[in-house]
Amino acid sequence: MLKITKKKAQEEMIGFAMIIIIVAVIVLILLGLALNKPKTSTGVESYEIESFIVAGLQHTSDCSVNRGVSYAPIEDLIMECDNEQFCEDGRLACEALEATWEDILGDSWKAGEDVPVKGYLLNVTSDSRGLVSFDEGNITSNYKGSAYPLSRRGSDYSIELKVYY
Amino acid sequence: MVKNKMIRKMSKHGQFKIQQMAFMLIAVVVFFALVGIFVLAFRLSSIKATANLLEEQNAMLLVSKLANSPEFSCGKAYGGTRINCVDFDKALILKQSIADYKNFWGVSNIEIRKIVGSDNEVSCSQSNYPNCNVIKLIENSSMGYDYGNFVSLCWKEKEENSDSLYDRCEVGRIIVRYKEKI
Repeated sequence: MLKITKKKAQEEMIGFAMIIIIVAVIVLILLGLALNKPKTSTGVESYEIESFIVAGLQHTSDCSVNRGVSYAPIEDLIMECDNEQFCEDGRLACEALEATWEDILGDSWKAGEDVPVKGYLLNVTSDSRGLVSFDEGNITSNYKGSAYPLSRRGSDYSIELKVYY
Repeated sequence: MVKNKMIRKMSKHGQFKIQQMAFMLIAVVVFFALVGIFVLAFRLSSIKATANLLEEQNAMLLVSKLANSPEFSCGKAYGGTRINCVDFDKALILKQSIADYKNFWGVSNIEIRKIVGSDNEVSCSQSNYPNCNVIKLIENSSMGYDYGNFVSLCWKEKEENSDSLYDRCEVGRIIVRYKEKI
């Protein structure tokens, strides 16, 4: 009699353990599925940075280098800056280049503490020689960036932008 | 007498066992039904999320290719072939015949904005062009998610003291909005 009762108790214990294991496996699967959510956006996309540089290079500045016939786009202004040329109004091409980038970057990225973009850094180089460097806001460990190469009149230029978030 | 008593006792014990098993079966069925409902709710919500994600990716791809589509691109109007360049003049004309493009791009809103020095929104029309900063091509919904990309906005501008025109380009943004699936 005692043997039968003991065997029955053992069977019940095994059944109970099996139910617990099954429930635990189901809970783990559901938990895994719930935690496997897609990544949230950072507010800065890589494609935007390259598009910004391309659009920025075509931006018409307020510096004329051809006796007031037309105003130079930034990509021409980079070359004029490299050749240490002056605008019609007497400013150095490099000064005009820096001021134009400052305007565009400030209005486009709007860096700050309470916004997704914390800061940015722009570097324009000619054959590894720095022409213009401009930064704003805080530099954090998270950033997205792009470097855009440009070749004109035998010189290689690079426009590099990093946006910190 | 003793035999009858024993049969009644055994029958009662059997009934109790059947009752216990019935309760156990009901509990197991209820438990699995609850798990099933939970899984179903989760799957349905993930289907909705997938639909929104697809819509989002579509908007992101659209915003990247829109500037280079024939309806918006600068072509060779501003000297050479430019990439990511939107002809602002063309966009204003397109606004007048936007009814022909109903459901063409599959998004609820498309707008083109100038960025530099555009603190106040001035919607473009024939009368104030180009002294404006927004062309709202399609305006179907005020709710949804916006996706934008930087483009070069180019137009022909009149010189201040003469009638001659020159090419002017500025950094702008093309923004598309898609409606979230409820």
